[in-house]
Amino acid sequence: MKGKSGGKHMNIRIKFVPYEKFRENHMGRFLRDLQENTIVLIDAKLKADEEANLIKETMEKVSNQFSGIELNSLEFANGKKLSNFDKIKNMVIERIIGKKRGLTIIGPAKTVRQIRKNPEELLLYM
Amino acid sequence: MVLKGFGRRLRSVFSKMFRKKKDIRIGLYGPVNSGKTTLANKMCMDWLGEEMGPTSVIPHETREIQTKEKVTIKSDGKSLSFNLVDTPGIATKIDFEDFIKYGMKNKAAKQRAKEATKGVIEAIKWLDNVDMVLVVLDSAMDPLDQVNITILGNLDARSIPFVIVANKVDLKRSQANRVREAFPNYNTIGVSAKTGFNIEELYNHLIEKL
Repeated sequence: MKGKSGGKHMNIRIKFVPYEKFRENHMGRFLRDLQENTIVLIDAKLKADEEANLIKETMEKVSNQFSGIELNSLEFANGKKLSNFDKIKNMVIERIIGKKRGLTIIGPAKTVRQIRKNPEELLLYM
Repeated sequence: MVLKGFGRRLRSVFSKMFRKKKDIRIGLYGPVNSGKTTLANKMCMDWLGEEMGPTSVIPHETREIQTKEKVTIKSDGKSLSFNLVDTPGIATKIDFEDFIKYGMKNKAAKQRAKEATKGVIEAIKWLDNVDMVLVVLDSAMDPLDQVNITILGNLDARSIPFVIVANKVDLKRSQANRVREAFPNYNTIGVSAKTGFNIEELYNHLIEKL
């Protein structure tokens, strides 16, 4: 994907990473993608400790060229009011599949200015 | 993975059970520039007569964990003693060029950025060492920032009790109710750390909670 920045074209890569692969892979490889101007989509809402770990690891990589990341996520039922039955059903499904249903977008902060949730969609500001 | 998380929770529960009451650690957490150190200074001035640390409009002024021991707050005949822990603001990005915009020189800006990244890492690690948290949010900013959600999610996951402090209610654009509506399942107290508005309610809440 090509984007324009101040009249110049820049190359942006969008990569899909299955949640299982995100958990298995070393964080180093994942962060290398982000350092190489890649926007990463993960097919799950990351757990809070995974987000905290990602922030910690990102901070280790911050440099003059890489200032960090923007990230945001949508849960399966974002913005919707679920009945108690649906909440329990969702919990059981997520237990079985081993991940929180949803979507996480992570982008390098030098390319992605902000990712805002609205509430059933994510808006990327480049 | 499940056993690891269970083990960590069990260790945390035991450590908190056997830690003496006088060793309670209350941490101030939140995004950058939300007023954590201003609140820490207010609490320390009120009860110790001295401040915790410097504040600044330049982000990431607090870049190391700062602690004040034996802060004793009193209200309605009750008192509570604790160690207050001020932490660096949590961020997902730190750009040295932002500091240059505030008039810092290139070399100093890069050094500040380097220290700030270490501060964020320390703040996250210190989540294992606190007994209760005041999550300080800027009530003039959108509360549904990913950093705020990550902080609250981690506190929930670790079963660390917390209260949300919607700070800066002295500002015209403050919307403490927006913070309450964003997180309806949690206690939110609107204060101004700068002016001291409603700080008594926060002290009362801490004494009741602990």
